[in-house]
Amino acid sequence: MAAVLVVAYTLVAGRTVGFDLSTFWQVWSNPLWEKFWPIPWGWVLDRHNVLDPLVETFQIAIVSTLIGCGLALPLAFAMSPLTAPNRVVLVVSRSIMNVVRAVPDLFWAKLLVTAVGIGAFAGSWALSVFSLAVMVKLFSETVDGADPRPLEAARAAGGRHMPVVRTGVLPTVLPEYVAYGLYVFELNIRASVVLGLVGAGGIGRVVEAQRQYFRFDRVLGVLVLVFVVVFVIEQVSMAVRKRLV
Amino acid sequence: MDRLLGAPGDAWDVFRRMVPPAFGEAVDRGVPGKVLESVHIAWIGTLIGAVLSLPLAFLAAGNVAPVWIRTPVRQLFNVIRAVPELILAVILIPITGLGPWAGALAIGVHSVGTLGKWATEAIEGVDPGPLEAVAATGGRWVSGMRWGVLPQVLPVVTSQWLFRFEINVRASAVLGMIGAGGVGSELVSQLVFRNFPAVGAVLAMTIVVVLAIDTASAAVRRRIIRGAVSGVDEGEADRNAAVLTDLTGIRTP
Repeated sequence: MAAVLVVAYTLVAGRTVGFDLSTFWQVWSNPLWEKFWPIPWGWVLDRHNVLDPLVETFQIAIVSTLIGCGLALPLAFAMSPLTAPNRVVLVVSRSIMNVVRAVPDLFWAKLLVTAVGIGAFAGSWALSVFSLAVMVKLFSETVDGADPRPLEAARAAGGRHMPVVRTGVLPTVLPEYVAYGLYVFELNIRASVVLGLVGAGGIGRVVEAQRQYFRFDRVLGVLVLVFVVVFVIEQVSMAVRKRLV
Repeated sequence: MDRLLGAPGDAWDVFRRMVPPAFGEAVDRGVPGKVLESVHIAWIGTLIGAVLSLPLAFLAAGNVAPVWIRTPVRQLFNVIRAVPELILAVILIPITGLGPWAGALAIGVHSVGTLGKWATEAIEGVDPGPLEAVAATGGRWVSGMRWGVLPQVLPVVTSQWLFRFEINVRASAVLGMIGAGGVGSELVSQLVFRNFPAVGAVLAMTIVVVLAIDTASAAVRRRIIRGAVSGVDEGEADRNAAVLTDLTGIRTP
């Protein structure tokens, strides 16, 4: 029964999106591919054209990771049943964060571009909101799973809420916090590459501009460069995360 | 500095204008259909990713594939994961034309990267017993994969597909912003017209659908894993549960 429903839905969905298997081989004979080659490395490695926006991309990612993860620390404690000051705070913060996370990152970027104007500023805001949502989700689950005994000990000794959380839970979850922070940073690097497509600054605006001029060779060059940098950052971050947890 | 301090106020201003959302207008403009189109795109994209990634994952797993094939396949996964869907769509649109098919393809290709990596990890965690049994009876490599490995990984891999589907629903909503079908185009055009109540309606509908799919998919994933866990020995159950917790943040009891 379930299988029939899944197949039926797949057929309907396939028709709606115009599923067309022939694309897979017709794609290769498209004359447009010639426009992707050769890559103009002189243009790509120019400081003004590409490298400055690329640096801006990283600035956006770093700033928003710091803001998002910084705000996530107290919020995650408010969202975990173990450490929430009371039930109202728990339920309210959980529902708000679920809604925030349900809005895709570039929707946030577009909304904030409308609100505060085009540029890296809007992008940093959007990614801050999104990394806050992701970080809170990941980290509050770690807090859920933290060892409750130090917390109980501190409470039994008559500690007030904030000091109890700080001394009873924070030290045990800190390595995970840093590891998740690095993971969110990786996500942000990826996201900040495409932010420019909606006018929120970074390397994406170079991609968008060159695409509109049909300079796909330049687009490809930028993408290769971005790929190399993202790859290096990911490997470093993954190595650090492995050592942390 | 002025801008920095003013930003929360500006953002709040925009959000206040979205209330109350103009649901009637949004329905007239066919927004619910667009939201559903996003879901369709995500579904087809996930299926494309699943179909392409599963055979590749067998070639990338350390316990079943020789090193000369698994290194290039793993690098392929890495390359694919590094290129965002949006960029893929930017490249695909001139080839397929504007529309949902470009979006579905972009999502499908991008999903191969993550799905392949996760499936590889699942295959590397299998119990080698059945595989050795097939080899002992003189079975070929393909039979070993089909009868020794696939039954063990299928529950985990299916839940990985569902999890990726959840991610892809958000991604396909975004893809509409550059014209690859779905609800994103509606959001952009309403924002261009500064028609904030309609923007609010578009956002609300997107949020409802995304949350509904997340909830439904998480429930199905939990059932799949629980079904897989009963009827096997305890060590394997633990391993399956550990793989899934690792990937999705679900805690199986």
